Amino acid sequence: MSAETASALAVSVRVAVLATVLNALIGIPLAYLLARRRFWGRSLLDLLVTLPLVLPPTVTGYYLIVLLGRRGWFGAPLYAWTGWTITFTWYAAVVASTVMALPLLVRTARAAIESVDPDLERAAFTLGRSRWRTALEVTLPLARRGILAGLVLAFARALGEFGATLMLAGNIPGKTTTVPLAIYTAVQTGESGDALVLVAALTALSCLVLLAAGRLGGRWA
Amino acid sequence: MSARERLSVEIVKRLPGFTLEAAWTAGDGVAVLFGPSGAGKTLTLQCLAGLVRPDAGRIAVDGRVLFEAGTGVDVPPQRRGVGYVFQGYALFPHLDVEENVGFGLRHRPRAERIRRARAVIERLGLAGFERRAPRELSGGQRQRVALGRALATDPALLLLDEPLSALDAPLRRVLRDELSTILQDWGTAAVLVTHDVTEAYRLGDRIVVYEAGRVIQAGPRAELLWQPTSESVARIMGVRNILRGTVVKATPDRIQLRWRGQLLEAVNSPTHAYLPAPDTPIAFFIRPEYVRLIRKDRGAPDPGHHMNLMRGAVVGEADYGMTWTLLIRLDEPGAPAQGAYDLEVEVPRLVYEILEIERDRHWDISIHRGSIQVLPS
Repeated sequence: MSAETASALAVSVRVAVLATVLNALIGIPLAYLLARRRFWGRSLLDLLVTLPLVLPPTVTGYYLIVLLGRRGWFGAPLYAWTGWTITFTWYAAVVASTVMALPLLVRTARAAIESVDPDLERAAFTLGRSRWRTALEVTLPLARRGILAGLVLAFARALGEFGATLMLAGNIPGKTTTVPLAIYTAVQTGESGDALVLVAALTALSCLVLLAAGRLGGRWA
Repeated sequence: MSARERLSVEIVKRLPGFTLEAAWTAGDGVAVLFGPSGAGKTLTLQCLAGLVRPDAGRIAVDGRVLFEAGTGVDVPPQRRGVGYVFQGYALFPHLDVEENVGFGLRHRPRAERIRRARAVIERLGLAGFERRAPRELSGGQRQRVALGRALATDPALLLLDEPLSALDAPLRRVLRDELSTILQDWGTAAVLVTHDVTEAYRLGDRIVVYEAGRVIQAGPRAELLWQPTSESVARIMGVRNILRGTVVKATPDRIQLRWRGQLLEAVNSPTHAYLPAPDTPIAFFIRPEYVRLIRKDRGAPDPGHHMNLMRGAVVGEADYGMTWTLLIRLDEPGAPAQGAYDLEVEVPRLVYEILEIERDRHWDISIHRGSIQVLPS
């Protein structure tokens, strides 16, 4: 295995793990809100979270540049303040992967939360639990298989992310080159030996992930 | 049962296509909310528990105001001190029996919590099942866990939503009696929702009848069954032989009425004495199990002895196992009162066999005046 190949694997795993952690922190509360609360702007939020699932990844990447790029809505003030920009760093790969994976987690976790009998939550209320404690002690534990399945899917998506990552983070060997980007580069430059190793690695990992998600997907008996 | 008022309910709640407008009170013991599905009974329970906020009204338990639209009081469900047994029980599937029963005791010290949960489990005959998951329990055990979970917190009021509807018929009967015993034993004031008239009568000290979002009658259970104040209450309670005649003469204790060419005498209700003018149309009912067939081996029927004497033929019958239902058409010209027949009569199987009704189809019948109930309109 060449140094480039090893580095691409390392970057990919690091990005995917961090993106999955961010997904858990953002996605689980979002899934709960969308499943259980009625609030103003709920449909809009639902739409925004789901959009990366149907948009071409390059278009999502483009919007991320508009938001976070050096001249972006949030990127410009950040650059003015700190002289730092996220584009072309491995953080950008994390952000791109997180956004791309979020709909998978939110949709899976939301379905799992919605399938929890609301009478169980009402029972917890009448037994003195606040909404917050009820979510932690009743709703989320009962939806945990679906939530875990969603996290596994999110991890897989983050691992395979290509388009949005390329747009926001670029393809800098040793820095932002993830496995899918490395495969693309290897095939373009005719180094098919390297490509084959990475293709095999990604295929094996994806199979594992699907098996894990399938096992977790089984409904709570 | 004392006459002390413990619960006072006044609720207005508007939903799309449905309005609940209910007001009633209850004392010690069990108040049953009875009526067809979709009449607003469960919605009332949810308002009592604070799970649904009424648009107007007032709810008070033992003098403590839980909700009052005027002053904006709306105690959240967490602080109402109201226990709720849900339809299907809603036991936490990821917790065992002891954790379920102790769920409402979380604010107490751990040792006391466990002691209290164990005491409740013991009292409900669930000792030995502490570590079982709800899915490993029988229907009856689940009901007891649900009751125990609600009662462990010593609620001022216990709410039960169709507690027996999840069970099949034989178990339902056993658990109805068990539930009745537990409710009496704990003595907590309770409100129970059901659409089953037997359940309502067996479990309720007081029955509140709901129809389409309104309370149409509320009173002690015997009064509801024996003296429904209107035709719609009688229909909802499953009363048969609801008939229409005209008043001949009404006094505070008797009412004479004309029906199908007969002059009938009925007792006026002592609590709701009703004095309609002669020739007023009047609804009344005759309970099928209180119609007497007169034996033919003891001489001719005596109008002085047999009240409200009539003659008719059996034109239809149905075998219900322990009883037979006979459809009787009177020997009178004109259309029968209920389609093909005038009266539905219920006789025990033994009587059906002794009188050889299968063979002998023509009978003199008599109804005591106390068994004819008038229904004020």
